[in-house]
Amino acid sequence: MSDIPTYTEAFDELQRIVSEIEQGEISVDELSEKVKRAAFLIKICKQKLTSTEEDVDRILRELDTTTNENDAQQNGS
Amino acid sequence: MPEIVNDKTVFTLLEVTKSIQKTLAERYKSAYWVKAEMNKLNYYSHSGHCYPELVEKANGKVIAQIKSVLWKDDYINVNNNFLKVLKEPLKNGIKILFLAKISFDPTYGLSLRILDIDPSYTLGDLEKEKQETIKKLKSEGIFNRNKLLQIPLLPKRIAIISVETSKGYADFLKVLETNSWNYKFFHFLFPSLLQGDRATVSIKNQLKRIKKVRGHFDVVAIIRGGGGDIGLSCYNNYELAREIALFPIPVITGIGHVTNETVVEMISFSNAITPTKIAEYLLQKFHNFSVPVQKAEEKIRDKSRRLLSDEKTKFGSEIKLFRSVTENILIGNRNQIKENINSLVQQTTFRFKNEKEYLRTGREEIKRGTLKLCAAEKQEVDGFALTMKKDVISQIIQSKTALNNMEKNIQNMSPQSVLKRGYSITMSNGKAIKSTENLKEGDALETIVSEGRIFSLVKSSKKTIE
Repeated sequence: MSDIPTYTEAFDELQRIVSEIEQGEISVDELSEKVKRAAFLIKICKQKLTSTEEDVDRILRELDTTTNENDAQQNGS
Repeated sequence: MPEIVNDKTVFTLLEVTKSIQKTLAERYKSAYWVKAEMNKLNYYSHSGHCYPELVEKANGKVIAQIKSVLWKDDYINVNNNFLKVLKEPLKNGIKILFLAKISFDPTYGLSLRILDIDPSYTLGDLEKEKQETIKKLKSEGIFNRNKLLQIPLLPKRIAIISVETSKGYADFLKVLETNSWNYKFFHFLFPSLLQGDRATVSIKNQLKRIKKVRGHFDVVAIIRGGGGDIGLSCYNNYELAREIALFPIPVITGIGHVTNETVVEMISFSNAITPTKIAEYLLQKFHNFSVPVQKAEEKIRDKSRRLLSDEKTKFGSEIKLFRSVTENILIGNRNQIKENINSLVQQTTFRFKNEKEYLRTGREEIKRGTLKLCAAEKQEVDGFALTMKKDVISQIIQSKTALNNMEKNIQNMSPQSVLKRGYSITMSNGKAIKSTENLKEGDALETIVSEGRIFSLVKSSKKTIE
């Protein structure tokens, strides 16, 4: 298991834990560990819902370079 | 009238053109239904008149061409009809069936004056184009291509193709950004025309740009709003539809309510119809993610609490059970011990009694036996004593008799007695002589007899011959 799961992985794992706990497959011994893990996953999922990490400047830079390339190609042909 | 100059009949240009005008007017008295392609509408907003370019093509080549005119009032009528029937205005590049009069004007020359255009003919043509687009996409196997893409669990990065000033774009952003759950989206506008002929190329160009930076986006939203239900036949364009079908990330359309769903809407990942609905669709996706997370949180909290309390209850009842079981066992054991004590007491008492009885009997028996034995022994001893006394007495008597006899014998055997009976003892040198040996003539002998001693000398000796 990677250190920081993607939110999809986090979501899937969370669903797994919920179904495990619903099926009564979790013993008291594991409970603390599972609940701790679930809290961590829930945090990741919630963060994803309420935050964005995209960088507009970077997209603009990438668009510029690609546009220039297109222009160069068009001019060259 | 023509004038004669140097024997030549000369007409003025006006006379010629008027003659042509007259001839044509006589020849083409009525109006005719004509089908042609309207290359360009050439609408002049200033005057309100149109001067459409009409062509007929065969194999891509123009084989007929004529100017035409559509006067302002006719244009307004026709355009309204079009908007009503086609949901499209009159525009460049459509096939039309029109009612026209052939007109010739001395100043403007030959042209067709369009009186009316039948919108249903154009509708059929547009519908044909649409069906062809669908057919082509299907035969290429890409009709469902965009639909089959996987939309991320949280489509939070949105490439928007729209017009910055449009109502649809504003509606979309408003719903997206003022959501009460504080969901955050990232969006980036790729401005484009969204209706009319030029929209096709414009949208295609923006799609090309998005493709270059597609790593930054989860979904493309084509958002049009406020433009009314017209000018949307561009969304049936094959090139554009193909581009969207093959687009590497899901494309969601919200181009407004259309009477007939356009091809682009059909083949897009999802057709939300309105911009607001796209925003709601995306929010719904967030809900679909958020609600299970929320539920998971609650479930995990509840279930783990319940699990713990269940365990506690279970443990408590185990303890109770254990206590009661152990108590029962203790009570049982205690009772058992009591019973054992009682039974032990009883048994020992009984046993003691028995043993005592047995001992008592034994003692009696021993006593009796001993007495009996003692009596017997006494009797025997008494007997013995009696016998012994008798024996001793008889023995003493016997011994006395024997002694007397012996005394008699001994008395008989004593030398005195023997000597009395005539026997004597001859000694030499103090020793009794038993043989003739060692006796020489002249040896002194002493002979003892019963009443004294005789001294003699040896004359001779002779040995007894047997």
